[in-house]
Amino acid sequence: MVVYLALVGMVETFNGINLVGGAITLGRLLLVLPPFLIGYILVRPRVKAGITVTPSPFAAVLGGAAAGLAAGVLTGICILIANALPEQLSARNVFVAVTPSLLSIMTFGRPIGIGVALLVAISAVAGGLGGGLGVAAWRVRRPVVLGLTVALLMAMLQDVFRVALAQLGLATEWLYSPTFGGLTYLGAVVAFAVPAAASAYWLSEGRTVRERLQTIPKEGQKPVRVMMIAAMAILLIALPYLLGSFLSAVLGRVGLFILMGLGLNIVVGYAGLLDLGYVAFFAVGAYTTGLLTAAANSGSSIHIGMGFFEALPIVIVVAAFTGLLIGAPVLRLRGDYLAIVTLGFGEIARVLLTSDWLSPALGGAQGLIAIPAPSFLGIDLRDPQPFYYLALGFCVVAAFVSYRLANSRVGRAWVAMREDEQIAEAMGISTVRYKLLAFATGAAVGGMSGALFAVQIGSLAPTSFNILVSIQALAIIILGGMGSIPGVIVGGLFLVGIPGFLTEFEQFQLLIYGAVLIAIMLYRPEGLIPNVRRTRELHEEEILQDAWGEGVPDARPSTISFEETPR
Amino acid sequence: MATEAQGAAVGRLARFPVRRAVQWVLGIGILVGAAYAAYRTLSLGLFSAAAWRDLVVFGVAQGAIYALIALGYTMVYGILRMINFAHGEVFMWGAFVSYFVARTLQNSGFMQSSPYVAIVILLVAAIAGSIGVAVLLERVAYRPLRNAPRLVPLITAIGASLFLQNTARGFFGPQTRGYPVPDVLGGTWTILGVPILRTQAIVIVVALVVMIALTLFVSRTKTGKSIRAVAEDKDIASLMGIDVDRVVVTTFVIGGMLAGVAAVLFVMVFQVVGPFMGFVLGIKAFTAAVLGGIGSIAGAALGGLILGLLESVAPSLFLTGLHIPGPNQLKDVIAFAILVLVLIFRPGGLLGTGEAEKV
Repeated sequence: MVVYLALVGMVETFNGINLVGGAITLGRLLLVLPPFLIGYILVRPRVKAGITVTPSPFAAVLGGAAAGLAAGVLTGICILIANALPEQLSARNVFVAVTPSLLSIMTFGRPIGIGVALLVAISAVAGGLGGGLGVAAWRVRRPVVLGLTVALLMAMLQDVFRVALAQLGLATEWLYSPTFGGLTYLGAVVAFAVPAAASAYWLSEGRTVRERLQTIPKEGQKPVRVMMIAAMAILLIALPYLLGSFLSAVLGRVGLFILMGLGLNIVVGYAGLLDLGYVAFFAVGAYTTGLLTAAANSGSSIHIGMGFFEALPIVIVVAAFTGLLIGAPVLRLRGDYLAIVTLGFGEIARVLLTSDWLSPALGGAQGLIAIPAPSFLGIDLRDPQPFYYLALGFCVVAAFVSYRLANSRVGRAWVAMREDEQIAEAMGISTVRYKLLAFATGAAVGGMSGALFAVQIGSLAPTSFNILVSIQALAIIILGGMGSIPGVIVGGLFLVGIPGFLTEFEQFQLLIYGAVLIAIMLYRPEGLIPNVRRTRELHEEEILQDAWGEGVPDARPSTISFEETPR
Repeated sequence: MATEAQGAAVGRLARFPVRRAVQWVLGIGILVGAAYAAYRTLSLGLFSAAAWRDLVVFGVAQGAIYALIALGYTMVYGILRMINFAHGEVFMWGAFVSYFVARTLQNSGFMQSSPYVAIVILLVAAIAGSIGVAVLLERVAYRPLRNAPRLVPLITAIGASLFLQNTARGFFGPQTRGYPVPDVLGGTWTILGVPILRTQAIVIVVALVVMIALTLFVSRTKTGKSIRAVAEDKDIASLMGIDVDRVVVTTFVIGGMLAGVAAVLFVMVFQVVGPFMGFVLGIKAFTAAVLGGIGSIAGAALGGLILGLLESVAPSLFLTGLHIPGPNQLKDVIAFAILVLVLIFRPGGLLGTGEAEKV
């Protein structure tokens, strides 16, 4: 595992250098992170022969340091080898990333001997720290982790925060250094300390606050809830003005993907039907919008020239119909096969869109152009800020619909189908009807997001409707939590927002998606913000074996927890 | 009495096998449509007999490669009841490993001086690469999820596929590269009056040999027997004293070996490698496996053959007749359409039972 991480280190350090502080760049952080994580993971309590084993603090730190040392040594050896190889045998011939500049990053810019020694030492220290943190009481651990995470996020998203704060008129020099473009040391400390302190406070006093909240009779709780929702709403509405044009455009894209995620959430999260061809609905929505609204020179032979909002209902109906079309043949298929068949449908859609055969109508490989921007009350909705509101509006509608569906007979039918189809049929639930409903609704939402996509840029290239879009949508709901609406939002923010805001990540987007999918499935299949029922389903084994003493983690939409329930 | 007769009539109506009727109608419809299209194409006389022959040979060679990869899918599915989405990447990594070896051999002139030894070395390299990735996959991604609900390993497989593809891209760069092939492999042989490219002939022969060897292995050896046992019932097999983990790893190793061989064959024919070559190939190979009947070795072989042939011949045969422009673009559509149709109407595949899979 250590060697693997070292190799991944080689892959990732060509991430380039994102400035975080004058001395701490993201690239360097990545050098230090693996040993830290190894130390941390190594000392986590483990169940051996029925007894939970937790190493003593001293042993933990030492063990962590040793592991870090080993990792550092391995990496160091690789560096030395890479450095020593002659030109012909250079590792560069195989691994394109092994450049002299990479090596100098890994040795912190010092001459190679000292650099390697430095690296090894830092790895050992990191490992020790990780070990120490791993065995700290969770009252200490959580604030520290939260503080580090917030600091990291604020540093990575420096552009976002800096612009936002500037717009609000707040001075930012103490927080973000104007010269290096990252957090100042003071800023970093503050970014760490404030959330950490808040978290520590909440952990110790929070329980009483929560209890007190719950003892208030229902009527009293309402104003609190309303206030929280209102606060969130105000934040959402104000966001584009805080962030300016460019960032709002990114948010618009995020909104688009969240909308797709919501739709896919209905199919995968609620009904449990793994659909890998979701991009087909997206494409149908986009192309229908394009065909219905485009001007004369769109590249297609169909001209209808409707307005966007007039066309929208038609788009939704067409998309839903496509959902039925795709859903009907696959009703009898089981998980794996369903996935592959839907994948096939998605690919068929893409090929058909690109083909010469259908190009008189669909524009072929060039796609459609000249799709007009929608306008509402005279505002051109293609501008980033208004577009964001449009997307936000659609998302709210979709979320509302999903929420109501989930908590209705339909939703319960879906749950029953998910658990055991045959028994559900025996109980009188028509799987045919509910599966088709899931497909149709999911497709309709997908169509809506396709419509948004069509007008966002005004032209459609068929190459953008590939399976990677489906996988992105899938990754969003998996990360956030299948069947959980706040989860979809969080997932979208992470998986689309961060690469959107930080362009350096775009190269590695898919790599990270893949790793995230694997990691989530291995360690937390219910996602970041879980849906309680799903968690129970996914961890059936553990529950049956009583391995989860305290029961399942609660699903509390307003807290993001990066760790499992304390053990 | 009238009511009884009416009731019986209604019962007969309700029991009417709608599904099978649809199957028959659709099947006959497709056949008639295909025959008609073929008739139109042939009467257009655009293609000479030689052209058809070349297409057929190419299709068979392509099919052989599909079959080898399909075998990997089929074996893993038989054991774990799970589709190893990342098998295409196993193939791709084998190809890449052998690519770097090949380049070294080329640069040092070894490839020219002793091409046959070089080919053997490449085979070994590819097999080693593929096996390595396959075992890694099993260990890291699949073993911990043995007992999870079926959705979970599936998503893990997708994630693994993405990860492997993009790691290759990160390591090696996204471009497709030309693969150095020994000159010995150029040129054609004439077998039975049919000129076949040497590479194609080798592909077909090697694939046949490997498949026969595999069948013998699974049916005659002890390991083969334990594989069959685990495929039939994992828990009982372990009660019988079979080390299930070992068997699973062995299966992945075999799958990797096959993929490695397929990788070398592929690069000999197509002479390119790229980080994303495994993806579509993987899906098509999976189509072949399903077409023939997943879980069956002969099925994978048959499925591969049919798919290869259809992909090669069908665009020209059917679509030109119907005056559909750019028929070769729709090659993929044909493959996926076959997949969809087979899965919907005959999920057991051609050599299967024709029943839908029990959940």
